[in-house]
Amino acid sequence: MSFLHIDNVKKRFGDTTVLKGIDITIEKGDFLVLVGPSGCGKSTLLNMIAGLDSISEGELRLNGEVISHVHPSQRDIAMVFQSYALYPSMTVAGNIGFGLEMRKVPKPEREKAIKNVAQMLQIESLLDRKPAQLSGGQRQRVAMGRALVREPQLFLFDEPLSNLDAKLRVDMRTEIKQLHQRLKATIVYVTHDQIEAMTLATRIAVMRGGELQQLGTPHDVYDDPNNLFVAGFMGSPSMNLIEARIEKDGEELVAWVETADDRLKLPVVRDREALGAYAGRRVILGLRPEAITDSRSANHQDGIIYEAALNVEIIEPTGADLYVVTMLGGREVNARMRSGTAVEVGQSAPFAFDVARMVAFDPESEARIR
Amino acid sequence: MSTTAPISRASMWPRIVLYAVLIVFAALFLMPLYVMLTTSFKTLAEIQQGNMLALPEQWTLTPWLEAWGSACIGLDCDGISGYFFNSIKIVIPAVVISALFGAFNGYVLTKWRFRGHKIVFGLILFGCFIPFQIILLPMARVLGVLHIANTTTGLVLVHIVYGIGFTTLFFRNYYETFPNELIRAAMLDGAGFFTIFFRILLPASGPIIVVTVIWQFTNVWNDFLFGVSFTSGENAPVTVALNNLVNSSTGVKAYNVNMAAAMFAAVPTLVVYVLAGKYFVRGLMSGSVKG
Repeated sequence: MSFLHIDNVKKRFGDTTVLKGIDITIEKGDFLVLVGPSGCGKSTLLNMIAGLDSISEGELRLNGEVISHVHPSQRDIAMVFQSYALYPSMTVAGNIGFGLEMRKVPKPEREKAIKNVAQMLQIESLLDRKPAQLSGGQRQRVAMGRALVREPQLFLFDEPLSNLDAKLRVDMRTEIKQLHQRLKATIVYVTHDQIEAMTLATRIAVMRGGELQQLGTPHDVYDDPNNLFVAGFMGSPSMNLIEARIEKDGEELVAWVETADDRLKLPVVRDREALGAYAGRRVILGLRPEAITDSRSANHQDGIIYEAALNVEIIEPTGADLYVVTMLGGREVNARMRSGTAVEVGQSAPFAFDVARMVAFDPESEARIR
Repeated sequence: MSTTAPISRASMWPRIVLYAVLIVFAALFLMPLYVMLTTSFKTLAEIQQGNMLALPEQWTLTPWLEAWGSACIGLDCDGISGYFFNSIKIVIPAVVISALFGAFNGYVLTKWRFRGHKIVFGLILFGCFIPFQIILLPMARVLGVLHIANTTTGLVLVHIVYGIGFTTLFFRNYYETFPNELIRAAMLDGAGFFTIFFRILLPASGPIIVVTVIWQFTNVWNDFLFGVSFTSGENAPVTVALNNLVNSSTGVKAYNVNMAAAMFAAVPTLVVYVLAGKYFVRGLMSGSVKG
């Protein structure tokens, strides 16, 4: 029995279809992140779950109950808005307690609940202030407090961190994660930031153009992408996408990749059956930057390492890592090496490919070959 | 910005000219008020000497007391006080009710949009630009049918109807910039249509309430045409009474009493503006420029 079931939900505005049939199921305690570029329909979907937008077709079920046409206030759902949406004329305590007041919770209980939540979010000292007197981070906490105090079945977050500066965003991200783990709450969270998605989610739904591209754990989405879009969208720096040609080499299946002056042969170990049908055809290989590294950092234990000497085009030290760029199949390819690896621009250097992590895509349909 | 460098004499001249011009114009505009005030404190004998700009030689409050309590308007000699309270009886409900209607219209037209909301708003706006004279006859008929002709209640109704166009315009434009997410948050919190209006929107409408109140108060208080058309005798507002007092053709013209009565009629709008004026400008700005 799934906790939240989004069943073939569609949304139309006049003639334009914004959501083209979304199917998502999550369990109680899941942290679902809807991620995608702007205009992909993720916020619309969230508003539909909240009941703020109507559903054109399909069904929504929460904890076994159909809520597609239930009024927002009756859905037992709380939402944290991007702009925080704090009531400007009320104090922090008034803001947090408003939902309880509307539900006719008696005052002593209400005050106790406000106090508990304020304690949890460390905003006890701010309870008598007005929203205008708070900093961005404090407003964010109050907005979360307003959702938490009602103890709803489902929390919705609409890009809650996008108005914060970079450092605060990372801190709040950690706090939201801790909150989720402590409360075992079920959360649906919208963001366009794939790092937020990776760090927070137990389930990620990648969306584009009103369609669900992939639904899975962060690990699934990152290492086992469904198509070129997911591969390119998730991860930073993004996955290297390399043009290659699949050929049979006796019993073996190999991928030929053009280097600056030669050809590179990479053995195919993953999805061999499906890729067998592509023998003699062009495909696009996907390799994460960390799957191309120096031979010392390579994962010799679990990976299947294949080494090749390639020309170094650019080196970008980030402190923790050293990103080394080479050319493969006419495109720049990013390799993540150990900081301090002895490589020089214009010189040849050994690159270790973990072919166990290599995935392939059909260049026409952009779908994963598997 | 302040500059610490000594200002040269040559660069001071434009400034001196500027201030001189401003002072001359300010004096010119304040002249009528000055004449009104000085005249109202003079005795009639002193006025008849003809020194209009001179300060009173002998200050007297008698004209003010007379204007308030014993000047003859028509056949009654009770001063303008009764009419002053008529105006108050008209202005308070007219302002409060028209402002509430305007706020409510603005709320619905921005946050609960329905098909054709633009046309409805357009029609309401249209009401702002209908000349007063056009509605005199139909309104007289309506007041007759409702049995509130020649009453202050009738005038209250006229001013509410006439005010709704402007108050709706003010509130709609103000609420247009009010974030929709707040309404949505309140909906999720379980607040209904009226709760959202009275608990969320109205408390955040301070500046625009001030603008509307000043606007409506000034218009209703200063109205003459509706007052003279729809009321007569003891039900008239203060503006009509003032006219009757000043235009009475019997006896000697008591300029000092007339001026005092005019001051009585002018003071309330001045008081409202002095008390709330700084919010007025702020409120007018807040619709166009996001704070």
